[in-house]
Amino acid sequence: MSRSLSVSESGTEQMKLYQPNEILIEQGEEHAAVVRRALVRLPHVPVRIVEKGWERDGLPGSEEDTFAAGKKRLLFTRRRSAFLEHCPAGTSGLVCCNYLVVSLISNCPMDCSYCFLQEYLASNPTLKVYTNVEDLLLQVATAIDRHPTQQFRVGTGELSDSLALDPVLGFSADLVPFFAVRKNALLEFKTKTNCVDGLLTLDPKDRVVVAWSMTPPAIIDTEEHQTASFSARLAAARRVQAAGYKLGFHFDPLIEYPDWERGYYDTISQIFSTIDPGRIAWVSLGSLRMAPTLRGTVRRRFPHTRILSGEQVACADGKWRTFQALRVKMYRTILRWLKDAAPQVPHYMCMETAAVWEKVWGYTPNCDKDVARTLTAPNLIPA
Amino acid sequence: MSAIADQLVAYAREKRLSAQTLRRWQSWAAEDQTALLAVAKGLQLNENQLRDFLDWLEEIVAREGGATRDVLMRAELRRPLESKLSRNDKLRGVKDALRKIRYPRLSQLEDDLRAAIKALDLGERVRVSFPPTLEGNEVMVEVKACSVQELHARLVQIQQKLADGSLQRVFTLLDEV
Repeated sequence: MSRSLSVSESGTEQMKLYQPNEILIEQGEEHAAVVRRALVRLPHVPVRIVEKGWERDGLPGSEEDTFAAGKKRLLFTRRRSAFLEHCPAGTSGLVCCNYLVVSLISNCPMDCSYCFLQEYLASNPTLKVYTNVEDLLLQVATAIDRHPTQQFRVGTGELSDSLALDPVLGFSADLVPFFAVRKNALLEFKTKTNCVDGLLTLDPKDRVVVAWSMTPPAIIDTEEHQTASFSARLAAARRVQAAGYKLGFHFDPLIEYPDWERGYYDTISQIFSTIDPGRIAWVSLGSLRMAPTLRGTVRRRFPHTRILSGEQVACADGKWRTFQALRVKMYRTILRWLKDAAPQVPHYMCMETAAVWEKVWGYTPNCDKDVARTLTAPNLIPA
Repeated sequence: MSAIADQLVAYAREKRLSAQTLRRWQSWAAEDQTALLAVAKGLQLNENQLRDFLDWLEEIVAREGGATRDVLMRAELRRPLESKLSRNDKLRGVKDALRKIRYPRLSQLEDDLRAAIKALDLGERVRVSFPPTLEGNEVMVEVKACSVQELHARLVQIQQKLADGSLQRVFTLLDEV
């Protein structure tokens, strides 16, 4: 097991502050607010100013695991392409929930064995932080103000954990006040950490959802390396709930393993005996899914993982999932427990086919907007 | 180098295995390397076939515990391995048996579906098939007919199977695990 946790004086488990081996700052970005904050919080890390395109000749000759090495090389740069994008889960043939993503960070300090970033950022030599947060805010404001009657959900957890670097970068202080005053948008932080201290002094005004990816402790302990433990995540959820945030839970990836029923039942029981369901914005389910090339990478980087040993098969979109009948059984079982625990909480599935929606929910959403509307306005859920 | 290490290198050279596949095989315990080498030699496994064996055997052990050599000693694998079948039939038999161990519930469901389709007893001119790896919810029914009369007879036959619930059983099975 690898876990970056320590116990603070107050007795709560704390994740260790991310410590890169090196900080690289692209020339011209030295005075960006996020750079200044990071330098104060990481005073002992060597700093190098680099030119744009430095990777071409600034990297060590060969690294056995470029992806892992990249996690320890923190680069501050400007994002030159658009920040606001549609969630890539909206693949043709799958039902999607009309989610928007913004990425201020690309790469993640944690290292889950099943993470798609291993493939997506395979030869990426850095953990990249974008300095021009003001451009992101402008893009989001332009998009959502143009459609004042439409509800938007925007997440930051696509290419990185939303909060793992917050103690270093403090982006939450830029994002929460911005979304707190907007009537037609919800911001979602998705995390596997307990790095919530930066959120507690901010007022989200009901416009910010802090969501945890949840798997049974047996999976967290063996497959989600350097993340917070299940109990630490739950304790953090309680803290942000008390501070006025809405919560979300993502059973995604849903992992089939020999004792999955007991594992997920206990996990759900513990969540709902700890958390007030009235403050939960949504819960999602999504089967573990992997591109074939990712399976090869996982096998190489985590030779002892058990994540590949489920009864997974290639699906129409090319990704490997637990075979459909078993997947549907898992969805139905877990959904039943979730509905028993909190009937009023909206649920949805991520990256699933209409056929599976039909089998699990008994209907297929007419269009992506059906799912999105349910999540932004829970009172619209059909009885 | 030990004897098994030499033998693996020799086999890799003979079959032109990639360095990556060889490295992966070499990372196993010596007894497991030996057990797989015996199977590989017996079946003359090439790169792709060997990679499938490595994948499935590692995944079976990850799920069930134990050692690869124990999996390779199971009766359901020994039976085709020690049979007098041709190399190709033997390979097919071993791969089928290994797949059943690797995918026990999926294989069981496929067997049940095949049995349910066989029980329909629709003859050779009506073919009922299910989607590969049971993904999706479509059952395919193909009807061959040389005349309107034959087509009518086949459709009546199918209608009977709908009425007595035996076709429903095929659809229901797609969801049963």
